[in-house]
Amino acid sequence: MVKLIQQFVSCCRAAGLRISTAEILDCLNQLQLIEVTNELQFRATLRANFAKSMREVNHFDRLYHLFFHEMRVDPADMTQSAALAEQIRQVTDILRKKPHDNPMYDAVVDFIAGNPLEFLKEMRRIQTASDSDAQPTRFNFGPLAERFNILIQITSTAAAIAQLLQDPSLDISSTARNDLTLHFTERFNTARSIMLYEPRPGDKNTKKVKAYEQRLKELGERPFSSFTRQELTEMREAIDKLVRKLKNNVSRRFAVKHRGNLDVKKTIRSAARYGGVPVEIKYRHKPLRRSKIVTLCDVSGSVWAAARFMLNLLYSLQECFDKVNSFVFIDDLTDVTAVFEHNEINEAIRFVLEEADVHYNAATDYGVTLRHFQRDYMDILTKKTTLIIVGDGRSNYMHPEDAILGQMRERCRRVVWLNPEPEQIWGTGDSEIKAYMHQCHEVRQCSNVNQLIAFIEELVL
Amino acid sequence: MDFKSVNDVHERLEMAGYIPSKEISTVVFLAAATQKPVLVEGPAGVGKTELAKAIARSLDRELIRLQCYEGLDEAKALYEWEYAKQLLYTQMVKDRINDIISHTATLAEAVDRIADQEDAFFSDRFIQPRPLLQAISSAKPVVLLLDEVDKSDPEFEAFLLELLSDFQVSIPELGTRKAISIPFVLLTSNNYRDMSDALKRRCVHLYIDYPQRETEMQIVRLKIPGIEEKLAADLVDAIRRIRLLDLKKSPSISETLDWAQSLLALQINELTPEVISETLNVICKYQIDMEKVRKNINKII
Repeated sequence: MVKLIQQFVSCCRAAGLRISTAEILDCLNQLQLIEVTNELQFRATLRANFAKSMREVNHFDRLYHLFFHEMRVDPADMTQSAALAEQIRQVTDILRKKPHDNPMYDAVVDFIAGNPLEFLKEMRRIQTASDSDAQPTRFNFGPLAERFNILIQITSTAAAIAQLLQDPSLDISSTARNDLTLHFTERFNTARSIMLYEPRPGDKNTKKVKAYEQRLKELGERPFSSFTRQELTEMREAIDKLVRKLKNNVSRRFAVKHRGNLDVKKTIRSAARYGGVPVEIKYRHKPLRRSKIVTLCDVSGSVWAAARFMLNLLYSLQECFDKVNSFVFIDDLTDVTAVFEHNEINEAIRFVLEEADVHYNAATDYGVTLRHFQRDYMDILTKKTTLIIVGDGRSNYMHPEDAILGQMRERCRRVVWLNPEPEQIWGTGDSEIKAYMHQCHEVRQCSNVNQLIAFIEELVL
Repeated sequence: MDFKSVNDVHERLEMAGYIPSKEISTVVFLAAATQKPVLVEGPAGVGKTELAKAIARSLDRELIRLQCYEGLDEAKALYEWEYAKQLLYTQMVKDRINDIISHTATLAEAVDRIADQEDAFFSDRFIQPRPLLQAISSAKPVVLLLDEVDKSDPEFEAFLLELLSDFQVSIPELGTRKAISIPFVLLTSNNYRDMSDALKRRCVHLYIDYPQRETEMQIVRLKIPGIEEKLAADLVDAIRRIRLLDLKKSPSISETLDWAQSLLALQINELTPEVISETLNVICKYQIDMEKVRKNINKII
């Protein structure tokens, strides 16, 4: 049993679940307490110990099914598979000895022989790999080419086995040959399905907020992109008003903030008025925890309209946050924190539009942006940071690098994605928002001012 | 009164008015047997808090609940010194203090004498225990529920670690307090943010989803005894179809029960589009959701 669990854990780890030794020990201890032969209980125990968040449950279920159902033959024909075991070993040994120069070949043969570890590791590597090498032309070919390699290896191994099973010199009876063919076909099918499968954590736990509050009647419901110049000015005034109101609310909240410990100094001082009797007790003030904000704004065409209003609101409310770091990007990341700190907001927005070092003619590339962020700015994300990304997730069919967003999620408190596109067209064409959605805590449609205000309010209060 | 086996858990939770899935009873049994906390996740309204209450009932233990929120700190969760009481007592026993130091020759000696009495002021008498301290200092074992632990700050989460792994807390003035009896701890989370690995490692994890059709039927039958079998079946099917619509807030089990209750009160025993339309405000909490359901009413029946 211990060995079985260990094997399973190695597979889970290879497929990207993080499982500690302590958890394995706990699990083994607990297995002694239940009826191991009852599969529901067995699975529940493994799941309770190895999949420790909602996000991992789906992934775990898939691995569990693969390991205990697809790779092991059903208990019903356990005897049959035991009979076949010797032949399987024999065949795969011959295959292993064949001259080859592709490491993937070994992994495929191992997989066929019943050890999926290497195969899963390789798949995991491809799924999370990023195109870190600088390429002369940007292309989304890396992962595709690697998958293609695996497909070729699977096909060639399958062909080799078919040939081998035809070979009359092999000491295997004809019925066994038939069984073996069936068995191997099943395994190859499994291998192909794993290759095609994207282990994305379910997004049913990602909060999807749809704001319906209609605060500003007409302008509030207009999409950002359709504002005229005059309406922009009106909008700004409306936003100013709103900001003032929000600030009032916030300061009121600060006024009734909960008290901290006893302030001895102040209490004694006030006691002096009553002849040393501490009539009034003074408490220390405890400032409300303020969060840090990091924003990544796509400033290409359509999205910019939404991004500018968000930045406008965020910087008007700057005193509600510890620090606001902002970045803009199209095909690369530019840090504009300083611009917004030293200039008036509208001035800063103009600066970003006209003078900042942003290639407005380039095609949007989220992958490069995330890679750049990972390389240079990862350390500004802390457990107090809320990361806000404004963008449509349209990456022009470039590598989306959603694994990097996953790493960023692990470092910060919350990841919120604001998408100015209507939800019906998410995931269509080159939109990678579905891939990113799995890595976010919250995804919001944000195409007009009312939706934006609803979000900012939630953030500040 | 501990649980004896997985089936025992199942039966006793049912007796306490909670219908668990096999997975729930397995995890609860394991957590009870190994004295580990359970981290419960799942959509709102699937009965995470109810599970804690049911466990408390079935084990015949008291339930101590701590609602977590941003800014929750040790003073609110663990203990607080009652400053006012301390000061009041100091005033009242002022004369006694004077007596104690009246025969001392030097200031240092006086301070020493007062220091000897320190324990009188930093003792249990002046401590106001909050839920966590209550839970571990209770003589009878309790069920401790930390609700929405993901809403608390990372600092508080770090502080929880000591409590959850060793069931002890340190109070600087009094020293380390060990649990007299180990409480059964449940933490619930709504995925507002990720919990730290360290916390997750100390817990067994339980994911509760919307129940299977059969389970939901059982729950309706259990909670609303007077309901007709056919109506209950129609109702559960309708709710399950409403859940498939893309709503702002999907109806959960509590809504199913509310709905069944109100249909019963209205003495309705057949579901028609009109009935659904009229009683929709029990199931949907947002205007926009109601409109959506009304539009798709043909799909629901």
